[in-house]
Amino acid sequence: MKELFSPNARPRRVVFTTMVAAQIMLLLLLWAFYPMQMLPSLGAVLRALSELTTSQGLIPELWASMTTALQSLAVATGLALLISYLTALPFFRPIAYAASKMRYLTLTGLTFFMAILLSSGHEVKLTVLIFATTVYLVTGMTSVILTTTQEEMDHARTLGMSEWRSFWEVVVLGKLDDMLEVVRQNFAIIWTMITLVETLYQSEGGIGLLLYKQNRYLHLDGVVAIQLVILATGALQDYLFGLLRRVFFPYSELTTAR
Amino acid sequence: MTPYFYKAPVLTLEGISMTFEGEVILRDINAQVLDVCRPDMNQGQVVGFYGRSGMGKSVLCRILAGLMAPTTGRVLVGEQQEPVTPGAVGFVQQRYPLFNHRTLHDNLLVAASRKYAPEEAQQQTETYLERFQLTAHRKKYPAHLSGGQRQRAAIAQQLLCSDHLILLDEPFSGLDVAMIGEVKKIILEVTTMDELNTVVIVSHDIATTTALCDRLWLLGYERDTNGQLIPGATITADHQYNLAEMGLAWHENVEAEPEFARFVEHIKDEIRM
Repeated sequence: MKELFSPNARPRRVVFTTMVAAQIMLLLLLWAFYPMQMLPSLGAVLRALSELTTSQGLIPELWASMTTALQSLAVATGLALLISYLTALPFFRPIAYAASKMRYLTLTGLTFFMAILLSSGHEVKLTVLIFATTVYLVTGMTSVILTTTQEEMDHARTLGMSEWRSFWEVVVLGKLDDMLEVVRQNFAIIWTMITLVETLYQSEGGIGLLLYKQNRYLHLDGVVAIQLVILATGALQDYLFGLLRRVFFPYSELTTAR
Repeated sequence: MTPYFYKAPVLTLEGISMTFEGEVILRDINAQVLDVCRPDMNQGQVVGFYGRSGMGKSVLCRILAGLMAPTTGRVLVGEQQEPVTPGAVGFVQQRYPLFNHRTLHDNLLVAASRKYAPEEAQQQTETYLERFQLTAHRKKYPAHLSGGQRQRAAIAQQLLCSDHLILLDEPFSGLDVAMIGEVKKIILEVTTMDELNTVVIVSHDIATTTALCDRLWLLGYERDTNGQLIPGATITADHQYNLAEMGLAWHENVEAEPEFARFVEHIKDEIRM
């Protein structure tokens, strides 16, 4: 018990799991019995969740959003990796710098601009998501590349590797696990944006639109239920990314302090 | 005294100077490592460059390894005495870097593949794993290796793809007595692998370096006629020691000999000047 409050302690797995379970239980109890009802009751949220699932197609809408999110993420990851790796060539560094700074652009302005350029709502939605995700990914990925040390590059060069081969070995292969971590961290941004974009282009539905409707009709229990579903989906995604990292890059966590 | 004779040069430093933003780091360094032969012995050589901390030893290492071009001068390597290029000299950096994303076996294989055809590379990798007592750890990632294993792996990796010359930057830094003994064994092992194998130690550990070497160069600062220090570390004619000629090389327990102790004291006095 004492170790749970000691700095940098490593409690046993069973102790830690019990602690997490107790914290969740406490949260649920507070929610169920706290006298100041800021949130709708647990029962009401569960009822809303059931109603959303059976009559409003929560699962298909979630799936629609999920596929759009994954599609955007795949394209954005490819683009961001390309832009980031091209920083090896000085000619392309301004592009990466500019891409990184574009994360300050507002989504609404961007959507308007894309709407002028593109014809279908789906294209606008996808392009906005790809653009916004790419600029965040480029920021994270270039930071990862910048962690490359002189020692690492010298090591590859002393093995007789050319500059490109050294870059491939040290930066591309050597930091692939860190790139996956950047993708994992930035996937959350897609969920923040997708809910907004789906309200602007309502023809294709999506969980964002469902959330918007619940907001509009002041169905607070429905809003909380959808938010919890998004939260659970995000947690599952994080877990899957972690799993991918452990499977494909088993060396990745060997030096991490636990 | 052990009989010996010299053959062709294997490493030459010709007038090496290095200046960074107007600050002279190294000044007109000249040295030549010759292939030393001893009758009935098939062993390469160990030579040392000694310099105090902050004297530009790491810069010298990078120049010797062909990773950095000197402001003036050149480095020639091998029997053909060709200008050094990255990869021509094996360079084991102070923290023994390896590719953290590759297993120990793959780290050696990627190095061997630079020099050998795939099948031979695989064979050489196995040989080096065995020779450096690393076979049991072949599937481990560098993060799982101990300091000694890591150092052995780093040396093996460089040996697999370089041509006889291997440069060690501060190989004894931060090691305990047992580990220093282990590193000394590895260095001697490397020299016995091929008569042309030459280990260049760049270090500030005077006693250990001297005990292993048959040639030693001392990096230091010269003074002008007014007694002022001239910027840039260099190697003066007085600071080039042929330990073989002095009868201090190739003795099993040279550190216990009074002559050796006197010589180390002399070097220390030179450093303090």
